[in-house]
Amino acid sequence: MSIEIELFAAPGCSRCASARKSLERVVQGVGDDRVTWRTVEILDELDYAVALGVVSAPSLAINGELVFTALPSTKKLRFALEERLAAERNLP
Amino acid sequence: MKSYQIGELSSLLGLSADTLRYYEKIGLLPPVTRSASGLRLYDDKDVSRLNFIRRAQRMNFTLAEIARLMEMRENPQSARSEVRALMEKKLHDVEVHIEELNTLRREMRLLINLCHRAAGGCPIIEDIDQAS
Repeated sequence: MSIEIELFAAPGCSRCASARKSLERVVQGVGDDRVTWRTVEILDELDYAVALGVVSAPSLAINGELVFTALPSTKKLRFALEERLAAERNLP
Repeated sequence: MKSYQIGELSSLLGLSADTLRYYEKIGLLPPVTRSASGLRLYDDKDVSRLNFIRRAQRMNFTLAEIARLMEMRENPQSARSEVRALMEKKLHDVEVHIEELNTLRREMRLLINLCHRAAGGCPIIEDIDQAS
């Protein structure tokens, strides 16, 4: 099973660019092909963002669940990914 | 106990005096107590009934439906089964409406938050433009 990360961004969001870079670094650092990510432009997918509970940008969802409502530290983000990857490996 | 004359109640509730008199005429409100000089004197129970009527009207309940629901409101234990069924159906409609309002609230909250942080241009305006 893959881990899909969605970064919710919006025009004029000053922290979204750093969130994108941070996410790229962490995903490369984890180095697992099962981790994929995409940027969701909130204004293009407003209904989806609202349904997920997004209240501001940047926000991060992992596998369709809103996990971070603000830019997390690199450490927290890596931990969230590695925790999920570890859970995958332990599945029977 | 506080009592209200028709003018005061009209201002308080945003309902015209004609509307208040009409509700009494069609039995939506029980006969209102009168002063010695014949002026209507509404009490807090009347205010409570009128607030219920206003809320129900905002939910597009008809006056006929409201009249039936008022029966149950006055005496829930003795309500006829069809009135109870109507109340249950209307409750469902209210719950659906609340869910829709919650979605709208979340969307508005999100757009306001995006607008506060936008360096240039406002996402709210962009969203409105896109929708049109």
